[in-house]
Amino acid sequence: MKELMLTPKKLPDLPLEAEAITPDSVAGKTLKEVKSLPVYVGNTVQKLGDYFDVKGETAETPSDQLVAIQGECGNVKYIGAGMTAGRLIVEGCVGMHAGAEMEGGELSITGSASNWAGAEMKGGLLRIQGDAGHQLGAAYRGSPEGMTGGVIVVGGDVGLEAGAFMRRGMLIIQGDADSFLGVHMNGGEIFVFGNVARRLGAEAKGNGGFIACFGGVESILPTYVYDTTFRPDFLKLYLRQLRDQLGVEAAGEYLDASFRRYRGDIAVGGTAEILIAEP
Amino acid sequence: MAVFTDVVCPFCGCLCDDLEITVKGNEIKGAKNACAISRSKFMSHRENRIMTPTVKGKEASLEEAVEAAAKALASAKRPLVYGLSSTECGAIARCVELAEITGGVVDNTSSVCHGPTILALQQVGESKASLGEVKNRADLVAFWGSNPPAAHIRHFARYSVTPKGLYVPEGRKGRYVVNVDVRETPTSRVADQFIKVDHGGDFELLLALRAAVRGTEITEDVSGVPAEEINALAKRMKEAKMGIVFFGLGLTQSDGRHMNIDAAVGLVAELNHHTKFVLTPMRGHYNVAGANTVTTWQSGYPYAVDFARGYPRYNPGEYSAVDMLAKGEPDAAIIVASDPAATFPADAAKHLARIPTITLEQKVTPTTMLSEVVIPVATAGIEVEGTAYRMDGFSLRLSKVVEPHGGVKSDREVLDMIVERVKALKEDA
Ligand code: SF4
Repeated sequence: MKELMLTPKKLPDLPLEAEAITPDSVAGKTLKEVKSLPVYVGNTVQKLGDYFDVKGETAETPSDQLVAIQGECGNVKYIGAGMTAGRLIVEGCVGMHAGAEMEGGELSITGSASNWAGAEMKGGLLRIQGDAGHQLGAAYRGSPEGMTGGVIVVGGDVGLEAGAFMRRGMLIIQGDADSFLGVHMNGGEIFVFGNVARRLGAEAKGNGGFIACFGGVESILPTYVYDTTFRPDFLKLYLRQLRDQLGVEAAGEYLDASFRRYRGDIAVGGTAEILIAEP
Repeated sequence: MAVFTDVVCPFCGCLCDDLEITVKGNEIKGAKNACAISRSKFMSHRENRIMTPTVKGKEASLEEAVEAAAKALASAKRPLVYGLSSTECGAIARCVELAEITGGVVDNTSSVCHGPTILALQQVGESKASLGEVKNRADLVAFWGSNPPAAHIRHFARYSVTPKGLYVPEGRKGRYVVNVDVRETPTSRVADQFIKVDHGGDFELLLALRAAVRGTEITEDVSGVPAEEINALAKRMKEAKMGIVFFGLGLTQSDGRHMNIDAAVGLVAELNHHTKFVLTPMRGHYNVAGANTVTTWQSGYPYAVDFARGYPRYNPGEYSAVDMLAKGEPDAAIIVASDPAATFPADAAKHLARIPTITLEQKVTPTTMLSEVVIPVATAGIEVEGTAYRMDGFSLRLSKVVEPHGGVKSDREVLDMIVERVKALKEDA
């Protein structure tokens, strides 16, 4: 893999929109071309090189491209949005829409992400070591499907409506999840190792989707019905994979746990499952 | 003495269209059929008026004020156009155009009232009817988190509770009125049934009702409401000939916000498998529905629209005025027919004082007081004609009954002047 290093210089006070920061848009370009990729501040168009020092090498194709950003980008939006291949590592925080609609490759953020990270993600791996804001992996407003593929792993807490309108894919949250987790979920898998606030799975249709909660839930909606307590084998397999493939250490602690299963949301005739680990 | 009949009232989302305004020598002498709010607005519309434009607190000519406004907006990197809900649609269209040519953001007051309603309707659709249909057909009327006697005074009498309709000939007796709220209000005293829901528990109750409508028997109390009451209400709703849910800020601004409306829409959609059921937001500002409609037909989106990239983008929370101001983004703002300094959280309002703010307004308000440029304008619906949209999305023609006080121009005319100057400045640049 060829590595390209971006170091933020003085960033503007207004948010910087930089969907140019993906392996896809830098691969096959010279450093000079990379520096003149467009970024947006308010209603003005500027150059990537105005705000970032650009060093290193570019690869022929995105899949051989590693892009590393060293520094805080909390006010930079759309980092890694739409990326299809390669690796993008941010050592610091990122602004809104990081990894939104990404289709492949790996986006790794050592700090926290703002709202709409991984929104409508289609594929690839998005890792956020810190916290994520609201609408993580959610559907954009008015859109019928959120995540349709890929994996999001968050080390910290997540805000409201994470995984809203999820269709496929996986969402793994090692910290706490705020209200309306997996609202309107219609497929996909969500794992939460911290606490889950109320209204999880609201209006979920199901379609094989489930929310597995290991750290307890604030309350279950009245439209979810308890049906059994069991030790599902499939979950054991999942948990092993989470531990061994994705490095989610906490998963290993629940290999033999038993789970209370609730089904719903019966308000919409749904068959989604909420699985709650017995303490 | 001149009497204008069938005048549309420009003060709340009911847009009552049966007012009789008496005018003598360009002065309003009477407002028949108007409610107390409306009457006082009509009668006092000339009080406390701003008479001359000001730039940085000094009196200026209209041209000077327009020039100052255009310069601030044309040179801004992140201009904000905000307000729009208490003026006519022509002015609103100019606001959208202004945002487009300046590469700015246009937002209206729905982002702080019924924005959640819009989010939900975009998410899950909408089943609606005109208020005329409600009057003529509805035999079950539910007010959920809304209290018309406080802000929509003639709503009960004209549309929802007492009027005799084609298929509800007995009027009040022919309708079953339900009120769901966290506390008793004048509406609960009028209602046949009052359901007291726990604070922040509307969402759960709506879901439970929907499940009951689907045929699941509710066996436990939900949000403080007994299970039998939920099952009975679900049955009653299914048996109605036509039902309507009027919901207000009690639902959109309480815990759950747009998801509460999402659940309400879902309940109504479910009921349509059994009977005719619709829902209508109780819109406050008389033309906030128009602000959404015009912004949508021009940009594709109803509020919080960003033109920075040359094409419209939509994301409440990111491009809504309150959020942008709280983050200190806008470097110039134009406020039309609204008073954000009085209604926004302090940090957002403070930012308006830091940047060049241009305000088009009739009267002195907290916003005009912190504005760099203030341009007095005529009152739409009293001094200027135009179109407005009622809460049910029905468009009505506003009348002009008197000449503008002090000969001031309308919002639309002033905005036209600003748009023209901005275009010229942009071309020069
Ligand atoms: S109810 Fe509203 S529209 Fe009707 S007269 Fe009163 S203020 Fe005007």
